[in-house]
Amino acid sequence: MNRISKSILMLFFLTSIMACKKDNESIDDEKPKIDLTAENAFPKQCSQIKRGESFKFQMHLSDNVALGSYSIDVHHNFDHHSHSTEVEECTLDPVKKPIQPFTMVKSMDIPGEPKEYIAQLQIDVPADVDPGNYHFMVQVTDLSGWSTQRGISIRITE
Amino acid sequence: MSRSFLLFSLFFIQGSFLNLYGQEKLEREIDLQEVRVDGNRYKHAMEGPLSVSYIHIDSLQKFQGGSLMQTLSRIPGVGSIGIGASQSKPQIRGLGFNRVITVENGIKHEGQQWGLDHGLEIDQYSIGSAEIIKGPSSFMYGSDAIGGVIRLSSVQEPEEDGVNGSLNLIAKSNNGTLGSSAQFVAKEGKFVFGGGITHLNYGDYRVPTDTVYVYNYAVGLKNNYVRNTAGRETDFQIRGGYITERFSSIIYLSNYDTKLGFFANAHGLEPRGVNTALYDKSNRDISYPSQKVNHFKIINRNYFETDDQKIWIDIAYQRNNRKEFNHYVAHGYMPAVFPDNMGIPEDLERLYDKSIYSIHVKDQFTKGSHQITVGGSAEIQHNHIGGWGFLIPEYDQRAAGLFAHDQYSIDQNTMLYAALRYDYSHNQSKAYRDWFESETEDGTRDKILRAEHTSKTFNSLVWGLGLAKQFGTIEAKLNIGKSFRNPATQEFASNGVNYHYYSYDIGDRNLSPEQSYQADLSIGWRKEAADIVITPFYNYFSNYIYLNPTSRFDQFHGAGNQIFKYSESKVLRYGGEINANFRFVKDWKLEVLGEFVKSKQLSGSKKGYTLPFSPAPSVLIGLDWYPKIHQFLNGTYFAVDCKWTAEQNNIVPPEEKSPSYTLFNFRAGTDFKVNNSVVQLRFQIQNLLDTKYMDHTSFYRLIALPEQGRNLILSARVPFGKK
Repeated sequence: MNRISKSILMLFFLTSIMACKKDNESIDDEKPKIDLTAENAFPKQCSQIKRGESFKFQMHLSDNVALGSYSIDVHHNFDHHSHSTEVEECTLDPVKKPIQPFTMVKSMDIPGEPKEYIAQLQIDVPADVDPGNYHFMVQVTDLSGWSTQRGISIRITE
Repeated sequence: MSRSFLLFSLFFIQGSFLNLYGQEKLEREIDLQEVRVDGNRYKHAMEGPLSVSYIHIDSLQKFQGGSLMQTLSRIPGVGSIGIGASQSKPQIRGLGFNRVITVENGIKHEGQQWGLDHGLEIDQYSIGSAEIIKGPSSFMYGSDAIGGVIRLSSVQEPEEDGVNGSLNLIAKSNNGTLGSSAQFVAKEGKFVFGGGITHLNYGDYRVPTDTVYVYNYAVGLKNNYVRNTAGRETDFQIRGGYITERFSSIIYLSNYDTKLGFFANAHGLEPRGVNTALYDKSNRDISYPSQKVNHFKIINRNYFETDDQKIWIDIAYQRNNRKEFNHYVAHGYMPAVFPDNMGIPEDLERLYDKSIYSIHVKDQFTKGSHQITVGGSAEIQHNHIGGWGFLIPEYDQRAAGLFAHDQYSIDQNTMLYAALRYDYSHNQSKAYRDWFESETEDGTRDKILRAEHTSKTFNSLVWGLGLAKQFGTIEAKLNIGKSFRNPATQEFASNGVNYHYYSYDIGDRNLSPEQSYQADLSIGWRKEAADIVITPFYNYFSNYIYLNPTSRFDQFHGAGNQIFKYSESKVLRYGGEINANFRFVKDWKLEVLGEFVKSKQLSGSKKGYTLPFSPAPSVLIGLDWYPKIHQFLNGTYFAVDCKWTAEQNNIVPPEEKSPSYTLFNFRAGTDFKVNNSVVQLRFQIQNLLDTKYMDHTSFYRLIALPEQGRNLILSARVPFGKK
């Protein structure tokens, strides 16, 4: 009986594998990528940005088929809630109440359905915002609706 | 239909017919895998020739999982969409949420079926039996029964005067569950009464890993505990009524109450840092985020019988109250500090409060060889929302349906079935405006109108045709039919940011009721030494409604999140199940349970993709041994299940591919005689090898949190009174 059940088991496995291996048409199942290691990428994990000044956001985005759009969200992390997706830990100030934290939401379409794109934006940081720990969220989609997000911890300094 | 699927089914048929000719006497055992192939059953059942799996309370105890749906998911074609160790929702042949209904004592259970992060609000220890109808059943239950029905019934009243019931003690090692349940039913003359109480208390559950990567964000798990997933559940039920041979009226009252935590490092899909010193102090405390759910239900079931008619009238009121608690976290344009003039608690993120009044009437009579059933149902729903988070607006809903079924027996062995049903539904949702200001396109700041006042009316006409025929030991059932589902409020009215999914969900006001056409076949063969049931199906949706992740973000209304838009597409689905039992050696039983479903979108922007939450094919081989050990030990069994689940590479954004895995479960039990009573001991080791695996239909799959590790479950049940 053991042999029988074994052979039945084997056959089931085989047929089931056959059943699910086929029919896989060429649909896009790859997510787009955000390359934080690129030389000119900014900000990176633990980057420091001075308030009252502007900086150049630059991200290297890529996809196997075609990129869709990207979006940036900057918000404070004074409560240490941590959206950071990066392994490296940055030094955190003690928990504090926000008074006038810097917030920025920006989304941009990527023109021409390219496979690679260098997103660039000039971002002004007002002089009167609270300094401290912030999160810099970057999201990118491809044409099929796959998305990738990276949460970068940054610091706004006085 | 694909060639490989045909091969798959053919193999099952061919493979299952091997070695069937044992001489063992058939044990009349009702198990979780049993599909009744009894030739006479369908002649009495309302569902006509649809195949029904029946599970008795004894099996519920034998196979019990962390939640009712986990217990039932051993049945091929039945699955669960779960969050954590104790909460899950039904899924039948890959369809779940609003596409499967749960009926308890004749009344549709109404919770927040659309939601991902909570389960079915039913006490699994209060149930006497469960029946599962795989396949579209709109012609019986109207909207939402498009994928199937889970039908639950309370324990039957005793036939003679007296009391019977049971005491249950439950312990589980993985999350330290301690629970007890006491249930009884009684009869005195023409009066029946009963009641029960269940209490469960569990800690954080454990997974076979010490680090989870929530979007690359490494979360360390202390001693493998999933932080803050502890919970409590307290339920009670009371019933009372009057029964004669031709009349009965029973009132069932029940209340389900639970409080449990969510994995603290991921609210939704969002990685969260927490104060680990505080959170890891105890494995049994419940901190933020958490939820509290209360479900109250009162049902009055009535039955009248005259010489030529049978009439059923079920009336019910139920209320579902669900609250989600969390620290206030500002997202997008929300103010950084929670304003103190809001009038809502700072930790109340969302509140859903639903009340439903419903009635279901049915009249059955016979005309020649025709058994005709006519009936109708109606319901009124009120839905309120609260808290500082917003997903769906408040709404009221009125619905009514009328149906007629005809069951025609051509001869002893052949039955035809026809059904027609008309449904009307009116949904009115209220406007909702953000309580905070956002930056708008013209540079000003304004409170965004999230939902407009919407009024929608839906009409649907569905039908079903069936044929059941007995050829000696083979029974065949064929069903074709049309089913429908009205778009749910969030599908046509939502316009909100779901911060925990990085999505901005937009409904479509022009959605029409989902239409589905399905053909089901069931071929069952039963002999003493073996029984086999094969149930293939083929299903086409002319407009399947799903939440489609687009390639765009919305800066103004969506706070920079990805736009997810409710869309329609044509969908083709097919698959099937096999359920085979072999008893060719004395005291042994071999089971083979297989399930397979494949879905494909044929139109729309996700053409070629599958549907979300597509279960992977799986095969379960179970081996049971029933030794006779001692005269004081009855019904002793030892069993091992080996379940192999294929990889799931057919995915749709935003899903992840799930690798294949093999799980082993061990079960043992015996009925131990002590003086005049019996103690039923049931023992299980689920996930025997502590395998680290991803369940593709689990909520936490998206953040790569593995499923529960090894779990020892011990329960003792002491029945009392006469049966």
